[in-house]
Amino acid sequence: MSRLTRREMLGHAARGAALVGMGGVTAYLTVKAHDTYAWEIDPNKCINSQLGALGVEICDACATDCVLPLSAVRAVNHYPECGRCYICPAYFEIKSAVGPDGLPSEKLCPRDAIERKAIGWIDPDDPANNFYEYVIDESLCNGCGRCVMACKEPAGLGSIRLEVRHDVCLDCNRCSISTACPEDAYERREPAA
Amino acid sequence: MRPDDRGLGVFALTVLAGFAVLASTAMLVADAAVARARALIDTERIEALEERARTDTEAAAELEAERERQTETSLRRETNNRRLGWVLLVSAALFLTGGKWLVGRRGDASPGRGSRRTPDLVAIRKKGARREPLQEPSVPPAEPELDLAFVDDLVARLGRGQEAAIPLFQAIQGHYRYLPDAALRRLCELTEITLAQAAGTSSFYARFRRTPVGEHVVRLCHGTACHVAGVTHVDEELRRHLRVPPGADTDPQRRFTLEPVACLGCCSLAPVMMVGEETAGHLTPATAGERLTATVSRLPPFGGTPVLRLPPFGGTA
Amino acid sequence: MRRAIHVSLVVALLLAFGLSAAAQDPADYQRPVDVAPTDEVIGEGYVTPEVQRPRSLAPWRQVLDMALLGGALLLAAWIVLKRRSRRLAFALTVVCLAYFGFYREGCICPIGSIQNVAVALADPNHAVPYFVIGIFMLPLLAALFFGRVFCGGVCALGAIQELVLLKPIQVPPRLDRALGSLKWLYLVAAVALAVLPAAGRDFIICRFDPFVGFFRFTGPVHMMLIGGAFLLLGLFVGRPYCRYLCPYGALLSLTSRLSWRGVSITPDRELDCGLCNKACPYGAIEEMRAVRTSCLACARCYESCPVHLSCRGADAEAAS
Repeated sequence: MSRLTRREMLGHAARGAALVGMGGVTAYLTVKAHDTYAWEIDPNKCINSQLGALGVEICDACATDCVLPLSAVRAVNHYPECGRCYICPAYFEIKSAVGPDGLPSEKLCPRDAIERKAIGWIDPDDPANNFYEYVIDESLCNGCGRCVMACKEPAGLGSIRLEVRHDVCLDCNRCSISTACPEDAYERREPAA
Repeated sequence: MRPDDRGLGVFALTVLAGFAVLASTAMLVADAAVARARALIDTERIEALEERARTDTEAAAELEAERERQTETSLRRETNNRRLGWVLLVSAALFLTGGKWLVGRRGDASPGRGSRRTPDLVAIRKKGARREPLQEPSVPPAEPELDLAFVDDLVARLGRGQEAAIPLFQAIQGHYRYLPDAALRRLCELTEITLAQAAGTSSFYARFRRTPVGEHVVRLCHGTACHVAGVTHVDEELRRHLRVPPGADTDPQRRFTLEPVACLGCCSLAPVMMVGEETAGHLTPATAGERLTATVSRLPPFGGTPVLRLPPFGGTA
Repeated sequence: MRRAIHVSLVVALLLAFGLSAAAQDPADYQRPVDVAPTDEVIGEGYVTPEVQRPRSLAPWRQVLDMALLGGALLLAAWIVLKRRSRRLAFALTVVCLAYFGFYREGCICPIGSIQNVAVALADPNHAVPYFVIGIFMLPLLAALFFGRVFCGGVCALGAIQELVLLKPIQVPPRLDRALGSLKWLYLVAAVALAVLPAAGRDFIICRFDPFVGFFRFTGPVHMMLIGGAFLLLGLFVGRPYCRYLCPYGALLSLTSRLSWRGVSITPDRELDCGLCNKACPYGAIEEMRAVRTSCLACARCYESCPVHLSCRGADAEAAS
């Protein structure tokens, strides 16, 4: 083993100091660190689901501004809160002309991503008391938010919300939807379980 | 396939790929521009139809059809753009591969401006010649027949005693530019100096040399300042440049002799060398060869016989 | 006529049930229920289905990415410092561009992570995941031991420029140095804007990321334009973004200054012919020696070496 030259000694010392410094930063960050950290939409801020924001333009930034071809944001129907209405304002375009079956003739979703399934036996004489399940097809929905706006109180029960699909989201540092979001509803945090 | 044919083929492919790159980029840009312009029209159309649909049931179907059409168009655009993107990627890869090959080939055929300095090194870059030795295979010029009459005259003038050895050696070196073995042998025959004494004396003083000297003597300073400034790299580069064999100080053609000296007294120019009375400083391995050529070109031309530019005595290295 | 009767019948029916669902004005619409019906209300053994919860980020994927990053760094160090093979280094560049660039869409990005780390250090309420700490620290650590091997073989942004380099011209050293100081300004600006309070926070490195748009096949117009300009410039000037703008390059040049090993030209014998100097498209060889802070570990200098088989590594030895 040859003796250490002064130059080598200084080199080792400087490297050691740098290692200690980097280790310190890493330790500090690790103590603070979360397991995951991802973009989330605050439904109380999102103009489409925000209570009281009525008669406003639908914001479709989530659908148009994502860097992915099909946005990472999808509408999700929270079934326990869903009224399972006979005429769902999020499913039907309630402003459209009524068809021969007594239902509005148009659907609200521009991509036809919502499926309307009857639950159990249908009583034709009492349509209002029949229940329907509304299932949003993940592969079609682009998060345009129309159904979210339509389902909001007081028209609906507000069971539909926009959510980020973390398995699709690229988790960009500069999420392009968040910069376009008019209400700053996007924030990075630990996703709710 | 002849190499020229291959070059032509690659050239054609590269040009084609280049056109493909340009074309697909232009198409993507045009598509983006068109889409931007059309977005406004499309929105207007939808709005107009929505307005009409409020009162007219017929328009509702039309609205739906229009929406359908627009979705269809945007999906088609997306697929097309993705395809174009892949075309762009593949053609760019082709273009770059072909381009690099062509650029590399041209570089081999005519070495760039900077490579001219070391044509030998560039030549041996080519495959197959990699292990060729740096030295030229040409034979060194034959030793000229020595005219020993000069030694005879000298002994007659300076005497035959041992005390005349140093002046005799100086005169011989002054005449032949070194101490040829034949001249020393002749000297020993004519004087009281023995062969062993001649060998001892001539090798003791660093100023006497026993091997032929080159046309130019390059004195490369190895003093402290020059050493720190990296003269060893310069030395090695000069040896390679002049093709001085290892262990020797003169090239086989006897054009140059490299002489390490202790200090030339101009440390501010370190690393520095002197050729004759010309000084060249701030040498680097990259520039040493060029500087040497330039310095030699500044030297006054030799008149008649080569003149010994070394002082007969003095600062032994 | 028949249709009209039909419609009026239905309307009458609906009215009879006290519904106004088909009203033309949305203000007239009344929701049929005020409380979400429970399973019991719905009856018939109905069970509320599970809500489509967003699937979480796959943790194995992050672990895999981190392992790949670390592995690629070690591999790059081995190729450049031990094996000294340009061909292998080139292959690694292509593979890393394909995976970290086009497949992972440029999102294993230590360059952007500077901002997240800066925010996490400055803002007590903010943190970064373990994954981000990892991708920020690993290349710096590698630079501390082996020089900027991250730039040479692993970084996708570097790789795309590395591959487009067609005919490098040498930038005059003074200009090179002047432009090189831009990256420090960029680093300072990026950190300063990132540590602002959350409302004014701006991640400019990501906003002006030149190549991520290419990796994703889509992106804002300005990004595509910047990226295209850099690639065009990159045909003739070696890796302009890396040398003059990359803020992570600035950090790496700091730690690589202290590096334990680095690209060394002719370790066994000095040749000093200067060919490696001309082969280096990044102006990182001065006085016949690779400058550790600016050497991007591309291994071109080894390939340019004319006689020195020892310089070119084992594969050249075997080939000849």
